Amino acid sequence: MKKVININFQGTIVPIEETSYELLKQYIESLRRYFSNEEGRDEIINDIESRISELFQERLKKGSTCITDDDVNAIIKNMGRPQDLEDAEAGEQQNTRGFQQNTGGEKEEFAHPNWNWKGKRLYRDENHKILGGVCSGIAAYFGIDPVIVRVLFIVSGIGFLLYVLLWIFVPGSNMLVNGVRKRLYRNPDGKIIGGVCSGIGSYFDVNAWLPRAIFLIPFISFFFRWGHIGPLTFPHFLSFSFSPGTFIIYVILWLVIPEATTTSEKLEMKGEKVDLNSIKNSVVEEMKGVKERVNKLGMEAGKIAKERGEEMGKEMQYAAKKTSGALGNIIVTLFKVFAYIILGCIALALIIALFSLAIVSIGLFPLKNFVLTDGWQSVFAWGTLIFFIFVPVVGIITFIIRRIAKMKSRNRMIRFSFIGLWILGIICFVSLVISVGADFRSTSSVIEESVALSNPNVKSLEVNSYNNNRYYRSNSWLRFEPFANFDDDTAYIGNVRIKLGKSLTDSFQVSIIKMCNGNNRRNADTLAALIPFNASQIDSVLYLDRAIAINTKDKFRNQNVQVLISVPVGHYIKIDKNVGYNQIRIFDNWDNDNWYNWDDNDFYYKTGETYLMKEDGLYTLDGIPSNKEDDYHNKWDDDDNDRNSLSAPPTQNYRYDQHNKIDSLSEAKKLQMQKIQTSLDSLEVEKEKENRRVKDSLEKAKETLEQKIDKLDDKNSPQAFLGSDNKGYNFVTHI
Amino acid sequence: MNIDNTASQMRKGVLEFCILSIIKLGEAYPSDIIDKMKAANLNILEGTLYPLLTRLKNADFLTYRWVESNSGPPRKYFSLTEKGADFYKELEATWLELANAVEEITGKKN
Repeated sequence: MKKVININFQGTIVPIEETSYELLKQYIESLRRYFSNEEGRDEIINDIESRISELFQERLKKGSTCITDDDVNAIIKNMGRPQDLEDAEAGEQQNTRGFQQNTGGEKEEFAHPNWNWKGKRLYRDENHKILGGVCSGIAAYFGIDPVIVRVLFIVSGIGFLLYVLLWIFVPGSNMLVNGVRKRLYRNPDGKIIGGVCSGIGSYFDVNAWLPRAIFLIPFISFFFRWGHIGPLTFPHFLSFSFSPGTFIIYVILWLVIPEATTTSEKLEMKGEKVDLNSIKNSVVEEMKGVKERVNKLGMEAGKIAKERGEEMGKEMQYAAKKTSGALGNIIVTLFKVFAYIILGCIALALIIALFSLAIVSIGLFPLKNFVLTDGWQSVFAWGTLIFFIFVPVVGIITFIIRRIAKMKSRNRMIRFSFIGLWILGIICFVSLVISVGADFRSTSSVIEESVALSNPNVKSLEVNSYNNNRYYRSNSWLRFEPFANFDDDTAYIGNVRIKLGKSLTDSFQVSIIKMCNGNNRRNADTLAALIPFNASQIDSVLYLDRAIAINTKDKFRNQNVQVLISVPVGHYIKIDKNVGYNQIRIFDNWDNDNWYNWDDNDFYYKTGETYLMKEDGLYTLDGIPSNKEDDYHNKWDDDDNDRNSLSAPPTQNYRYDQHNKIDSLSEAKKLQMQKIQTSLDSLEVEKEKENRRVKDSLEKAKETLEQKIDKLDDKNSPQAFLGSDNKGYNFVTHI
Repeated sequence: MNIDNTASQMRKGVLEFCILSIIKLGEAYPSDIIDKMKAANLNILEGTLYPLLTRLKNADFLTYRWVESNSGPPRKYFSLTEKGADFYKELEATWLELANAVEEITGKKN
């Protein structure tokens, strides 16, 4: 079943099968591109078309309902299939490698303008190829045996990659001879998504499913391993093993490779031999022959000479442009490829960064009121958000969509206004950074308040937090340290740290240190004094605020609070798990000038554990010094620096793990026990069955025996009776 | 240097001459030319003929006239111009010279 279409061919309506039509179109297109340099091209093609049309009419008159593939093929054969013609007219046409023997000097050169260079060029030798003809091409270039080159390629490690690259970038001999270079196009006829794989398949003369598989295999593995996607795996993002990477590569190829829409592009895509070129060559050649003779006869000598001179000049220019060393060509192409790859990677990274910035800024925008002042800063913030971040995002998205939908707009105004707005955005962003930076420039003096403890002489102090739900950490999808939670008018900053030290007296001492930044020292001091932080002791428990509350008026200026707890020697301290958001560190260096600063040398403190203060520091109840039990922490150190309070304290994880382990152990034990129990039960059942069986059989045996005995009894009873009587009798008689 | 190469070179040289001599006999339609050449055992593909005719026409050696056809589009019937006739004469002279020369040479050899 085939679709038949009607075409207007040379003024007559021809019903023709669609495939035949494609065939015909391709043929005529190949003629057209063949005669492209021919003066009378249109006329020649018109004549050929007329003849074909006439032949079509003949067929139809004979009773065919439509023109079929066979008809078209027959006609093409009649007109001269390119190859046939080439064979018939072989000879001076070309040798397989595409260089011309320069027998006729400049005249020959004139006849083969497209490919007759002086000097060698590197081609893939498609007539002696095994894979892509790279090796035999190189061998031909250097005049050595292809086997040597092949062995070298196989032996050297990078051979494969190099081979593929050369395959791509070195023109094939056949392509060149026929003046058609294979080009990479997307194939709209064989497409599933964008035709990229199909086009690549055409380019390499392989089934389209091979490139498809190469694109798909990492994707399939991706679905089995969700784990490897994430912002932290960014370097993998660009590697080819990362499957979304292949997706991105596909999209880029989609955007970059043009689609083969016209027939000549399709021919270029497949690198189909447009062999009718040889017709042209023969025509040119023949005409030259005519002219030559004409010339010999002394006619039009001057005109011909002039013409040829002109064309020669043109060709020489062309040749000069094209001719350069083959190796130079390779190096330049390779360099170009690498440059494009690197540029592509950079562009991709920038785009990804931009998009993530956009997402983060959406999440952070509610915090604006707590950080930025209302005036210019607010304007800058909006400007940054809209112009610096969202304008390019929208621009890139629209660009991609337009490319995919193939909408082409030459509207420069849009492009320029996009660029203009983005520059405005950059200005806003820079201003914002400068302005906000200025607000954080100065650090306040340290305000230290000592907390009056109601019961400082307690033997053991427990530190806990006020039970206020509002201070709990928000479950927002995005968290920006040190903001722990915020609502419309209040934000809670988790900038609370606890430091433990040794008391010089024999009672507990607690002091609170408040610090803050500001645009000048005075403002910073004022703001620091405004920091609300409560601490009070009830019985043996010291209650602290979980976070610092700030409002939209006072703004966030990196307010932070440190609670210093001095523990007397011989006393116990325990910090509850739900205190504070940040780590608690043991602070044992009172002499340090920067003692209010966070020091990396401080030790981590495990929450929820009771410690005993000794002369030389804190010890756990097991007698391990607090600074020696940190193997576990050290492992987590790097992570904790980044997200110190993002996750539950590592100690908890640890414990949790332990519990899990124990749980799983007991679970396993239980299972084991159950198994044993069931097997025991089944054994029991088995035993009972066996018992019953034995019992039954015994009973049966007993019955039969009894029956037998009964029978015997019946038989023997008179005798027996007699016997016994006799005995009795005898006995009696004996008496 | 192979036989096909040489043979086709030889054939090509006389192609225009043959075409012109067919047209000289009277107005000719390209497919008629083909048929006649085939009949004389000189096979040529139509695809080669059309460009040749166009070239010759553009060189003012040939002219054509449209003839309505009841089987398809109008046909181009080619005929020689005066210039073409001159050209043909020159070619004919050259050919005869050449043929004689070749005959003599090959004949001597034999």
